Amino acid sequence: MRAKPGFTVALAVIASLVFWLVYSGVRDSMVYYVTVDELFEQVPEVYGEKVRVSGTVVGGSIRNDIGESLRFTMAAGRGSLDVEYGGVVPDIFTDGVEAVVEGKLSEDDVFMADLLLAKCPTKYESEDSLYERKKS
Amino acid sequence: MSDLGSTAVLLSFFVTLYALAASAVAAKTGSAAFSRSAENAILSVSFLLLVAVGCLVHGLVTLDFSLRYVALNTSTDLPVVYRVTALWAGQSGSLLLWSFVLSLYMSFSVIRSPDRAAGTYVNAVLCFVALFFLFLVAYIEDPFEKLGLAVDEGRGLNPILQNAYMAIHPLTLYVGYVGVTVPFAFGMGALISGNLGSGWIRNSRKYALFSWTFLSVGLLLGARWAYLELGWGGYWAWDPVENAAFMPWLTATAFLHSVMIQERRRMLMRWNLVLLIVTFFLSIFGTFITRTGIVSSVHSFARSDIGQPFVGFMVFVLVFSFALLALRSGELRSERGFESALSRESAFLFNNLLFLGAAFAVFLGTIFPILSEAVTGKKILVGPPYFNAVGVPMGLVLILLMGVGPLVSWGKSSSANLARNFLFPAASGAVVLAALVASGMRDLIALVTFSICGFVASTVFVEYFRGIRVRTRRGENPVSALLNLISRNRRRYGGYVVHLGVVLLVVGITASSVFVTQREVVLEKGDSFFLGGYELVFTELRRFSNDAKDGVSAELSVARNGRSVGVMRPEKNVYKYEGNREINQETEVALRSTFRDDLYIILSQVGESGEVSVRALLNPMVNWIWAGGVVVVFGAFVTMWPGGEKRRRRRVG
Repeated sequence: MRAKPGFTVALAVIASLVFWLVYSGVRDSMVYYVTVDELFEQVPEVYGEKVRVSGTVVGGSIRNDIGESLRFTMAAGRGSLDVEYGGVVPDIFTDGVEAVVEGKLSEDDVFMADLLLAKCPTKYESEDSLYERKKS
Repeated sequence: MSDLGSTAVLLSFFVTLYALAASAVAAKTGSAAFSRSAENAILSVSFLLLVAVGCLVHGLVTLDFSLRYVALNTSTDLPVVYRVTALWAGQSGSLLLWSFVLSLYMSFSVIRSPDRAAGTYVNAVLCFVALFFLFLVAYIEDPFEKLGLAVDEGRGLNPILQNAYMAIHPLTLYVGYVGVTVPFAFGMGALISGNLGSGWIRNSRKYALFSWTFLSVGLLLGARWAYLELGWGGYWAWDPVENAAFMPWLTATAFLHSVMIQERRRMLMRWNLVLLIVTFFLSIFGTFITRTGIVSSVHSFARSDIGQPFVGFMVFVLVFSFALLALRSGELRSERGFESALSRESAFLFNNLLFLGAAFAVFLGTIFPILSEAVTGKKILVGPPYFNAVGVPMGLVLILLMGVGPLVSWGKSSSANLARNFLFPAASGAVVLAALVASGMRDLIALVTFSICGFVASTVFVEYFRGIRVRTRRGENPVSALLNLISRNRRRYGGYVVHLGVVLLVVGITASSVFVTQREVVLEKGDSFFLGGYELVFTELRRFSNDAKDGVSAELSVARNGRSVGVMRPEKNVYKYEGNREINQETEVALRSTFRDDLYIILSQVGESGEVSVRALLNPMVNWIWAGGVVVVFGAFVTMWPGGEKRRRRRVG
């Protein structure tokens, strides 16, 4: 390609701009994704740091009183984590689902979440669910 | 029926294998007989897969619970229409559908193939891709797999998938995803055969545009579904599954622009092949992400056995295609270079770099958790803040280019020419800016975006106005001048309509993301609250029951600036499932939609003594997004509509 200098400069500017955007975007918004037990391994550095945590919702732990934040406990491995969340609760969020929260761990070890995702149980596409019903 | 189905799948696998071999022989020897035989084999694969799909649909509709797929995705209380759409609700059904759609594309390209000699290579590539998917369907994810023990009730379809948009959204996406295989095959066919003339690019452009249109529709339907059904007030979350469809759309958009340079100026041939390869790769990658759930995602599809074959296939596609491209690189030199940084072709090239850069940024963000885990051992992810920080500036420059492109000429623009062309559009942008500042808008991103949109919209009007004026001066009346203008050059003027649709989309996206307001309130009967210019009064709590669900709805009477505009009823439903289904709750938002704003109400909780907790959002101009989508699709159909090109060529030649 017989390119003129001005043209090459323009290309270089675009390319470096894209890389700079990607780099600074990653730097400013990266979040560690850990399980509940891994989170507690990082105490105390993790206090006040934005982090994403996954775990299973402990059966019977969900408190969702009207006008109050949602509170529940999630667990993974040997760790368990109390979570407080004030946003929209997904429909599939219930006892036993895998929940993912994003937010900060406060110093009294309550996780203040500003994002809550719920994943269907892993048996979603398995046959177990079909036969469980037969047994009952 | 299910035996017939699995036999048809197995047969189609072997017939495709034969078609691949016959195409290869025909390509090697030039035998017309083998070439025809391969084509007939391809046609029969379509038929076999039609039979297989028919059998599975039959099983789904008649609720044949001896089949694993049927038991997992339907139930006796599921309406017939959703039993049919359950065809693409699960993994093996989706893969069968993928193969079937691909076989239809293959048959279509065989029937329409203008050049049999080049066609054999194209057919071979298509067969190879089909073979991979048929292998998955026939040997790994069998949709006709039987349960060891038949059950008498299925698990049912997730209630959030029981929605008209969700019913057709995957289908349109598949038509788009699968469709990019055809231009890829045209490109590969040209590379393998060494027949690198202009025929293949013209053919592949049409398929690319068709696929692009369906990808666009699929993306918009998905966004609309998320908005109506997921109930968090937004339509796009940069979820991996959304990104999966967005990435091939970005690179396909780049291709549709740069292909014009190749046709007009015989430049960028290597670049176009790169775009085709990347787009095809991204469409396979998208299917892979969606079907294996490898990146954690709210869509959460099951992990499965198809991960490894997919990775192998993707690696092979990349290595093979780029090796082939490198081999032919010398024959693909451009016939001329870029004359000026300010020309139509360089505007296209900048547009291309940005689209590819955006696809790269989205790709990186999507696989960041996997990458970081592989490199550092820790899973790190980048969320919506990353995508917005990267996407907004790139998007703005792209939209600016959308306006600049049509104003600069091919080759080299003279400065007098430029000044004349830019005057009116630039003035329009400035007027929009001044008007918005005067009306009190202070958000920088919104101001910049809206002024650029004003600039772009006026370039489209200027182009139309000029074209029409030339004709009316020759004595045509304005209406027939407009129609003739479009029909004589559908690609150009259809393209401008697409641009106008994109402007509407961007305005809607900007307004609804920058100016959203929301409130969460607890209300007792008779309580009211204000949001924007709306007053909402909680009047009644109703409980109701039908065969499928128990529901509760809060009635809110809504007034705007003191005038009543109706009653809204957000609901919370609990489905009465007899089966063992994990998901039985559904929050049904209430939506009042106008072109000014959307009032979006979520019933969060219902208290024991009849009080409710309600979250209300005021999303401005969301309807502009859907309207913009309709305009984009309309423009794309104008561009694709057959006939215009031929007439024009005759006139010129």
